[in-house]
Amino acid sequence: MEPFVTQLLVALGMGLIGAIVFSGIGLISGTDETTTLAPLTLLVVLLGVPPVGVFSFFMAGAVSKHMTHAIPTALLGIPGDTLATPLLQQATMLRNLGVPHIALRKMISGAIVAAFVAVPLAVLFAVLLAPFGPVITKAAPWVFLAASVAIAFFSSGRWASVFLLVPFVLVIVGLQALTGKYGVKLSVSYFLGIAIGPLIADLFSILSPADRARMRRERVRTFSLAPDVKGWSGYFPNPMKVLDGQQRGWVTATAAISSATFVFSPVAMTVVLGELVGSRVKHAYHRLTTVISARNGVTEATYIAEALIPLIAFGLPLSPVAAGPAAPLFNAPPRFFVDTATGHINNLHTLMTTWQFLGFGLLAVVLAALVAYPLSMNYAHRAASFVARKLSHEAIIATFVGLIVVISVWEGQLLGLLVILSVGLLGGLLSRNFGFNTGVQFMGYYTAVLSVPALTKAFGA
Amino acid sequence: MEQQLAAHERGRALSQSAETTEYQLVEIWGDTVDTRHLAWSVVLGIAISYGAFAIANRVLAAYVPDAAMARAYAMLVGLAGCLIAGVVCAKLFKPKREVVEEAHGAAGREEVLKQLANEAGGLGRVADLPPSVVAEMKELGLYELFAEYEERDEQRDEQREGAR
Repeated sequence: MEPFVTQLLVALGMGLIGAIVFSGIGLISGTDETTTLAPLTLLVVLLGVPPVGVFSFFMAGAVSKHMTHAIPTALLGIPGDTLATPLLQQATMLRNLGVPHIALRKMISGAIVAAFVAVPLAVLFAVLLAPFGPVITKAAPWVFLAASVAIAFFSSGRWASVFLLVPFVLVIVGLQALTGKYGVKLSVSYFLGIAIGPLIADLFSILSPADRARMRRERVRTFSLAPDVKGWSGYFPNPMKVLDGQQRGWVTATAAISSATFVFSPVAMTVVLGELVGSRVKHAYHRLTTVISARNGVTEATYIAEALIPLIAFGLPLSPVAAGPAAPLFNAPPRFFVDTATGHINNLHTLMTTWQFLGFGLLAVVLAALVAYPLSMNYAHRAASFVARKLSHEAIIATFVGLIVVISVWEGQLLGLLVILSVGLLGGLLSRNFGFNTGVQFMGYYTAVLSVPALTKAFGA
Repeated sequence: MEQQLAAHERGRALSQSAETTEYQLVEIWGDTVDTRHLAWSVVLGIAISYGAFAIANRVLAAYVPDAAMARAYAMLVGLAGCLIAGVVCAKLFKPKREVVEEAHGAAGREEVLKQLANEAGGLGRVADLPPSVVAEMKELGLYELFAEYEERDEQRDEQREGAR
């Protein structure tokens, strides 16, 4: 292990890179966490960055992205990513009241407060759960099966999603057998295929005259950009003063609750806890600002907890976030791997101590706050205006199409590309038509990899 | 070049409707694009990023002794290629969006108040607010707005009761 000073420098450097890169990515609405965080974290892992550097990069990136995604949400009325969808209603109302900057400030301050609450609590819950680690690792195939079914049931597809797990898992098992024949073992291609599936499915649809009619539009979309209002003196406002006492209390409380519930979908937690807070605040304006602070806090806290708890306690990707965007922290062959057959785990779980997770986790949050907070406070309007006016959707699609090709060819040459297209098309269609969302699909992948071998063994197929 | 000229003309004063009919608009992955531009961006995205990756893979394999490392660096170059493809397409194809700057002091306020009053919790009373929130609302010029609406609401209630 490297001396502490080296570790600190690596963590500082990588955390700063993560914070800067993802503050920028967060501005572009529609960039999902899995399509951006997962490949870049994987790259950092494969380039041989020390474990604390990988961890700081991921954490600072995730936290920064969640702060800057508030900008398109508050100023343009389009969700920064899937997690920002539940915040749109409050953000739009505040915008129509003529105070979009308040929506933005409350959201970001809520996120900062929640992040500082979530890191230590997630570590604490992980330590409490750690004694069950060996049992869980041993039972991993069954735990994943149960988790997949549970996550499928709580997706918008309900029972359809539960039953769709069967054909979906079967396809993955089949594709793996096929690539195995040629000595190609894929993992990232599946994740990326699943995450980017909606785009792949849409690209196929557009080629079909029958489906194209459905997608045709008469006119360009109109976005109204909220005016730039600066309501404080100095470079940026104190995040503590942006929230009043009651709001700080609610943000802390909901962040604490959502830190503990790491197996549920972040979007669902955000909606439920937001309703809870809303029902307790009497005045409508105060309700709007309190709910929006708490909701953005919850998205931040759930995200942190879903990545940290499984990582620290088990070393197995046992939550929708751990299975998706945070997957390279668990599984990035040849460097990090999980072998359920032997129970052998080699990833950040084994390479970092609990104190390191706590210390470097907090450091990453500080770095993210230092980069993303002033940026959002001072340049939100200009940034949103630039993205909406200069960055065409075609350019974003070109980038992601390139990403699909590079990652899949890198991992498995032509076979990789074929697999990513097949999985993406299937996943995208299932998600569009049945509400079998990407979170469930990630769990489906793990079921195929971890549970199916155990199942076939148990039933002697 | 042709693209740039077109952008210029558009910037001058071509009517909105004429501009839109030029495009074959479709909605894909959450936003509108032009089908021909989309086809070009897919082609350019693949060509530039795969080209960058393939060339880097060749070159680095010769110079970097560790094969896995060489491939990881090639991927880095490939990802840079994706970004370049994005920049090229952003330069070539203008966004199919209309961005309207909202004026200060939005006109939709009355609507929002109505909406809020109809919500489960209702509008609430400004008298119940903690002083810090009152200060915040006064600073934003929202206090009077809410207080007035409340008053009007009460008057309406009283009138209704008086009529009874």
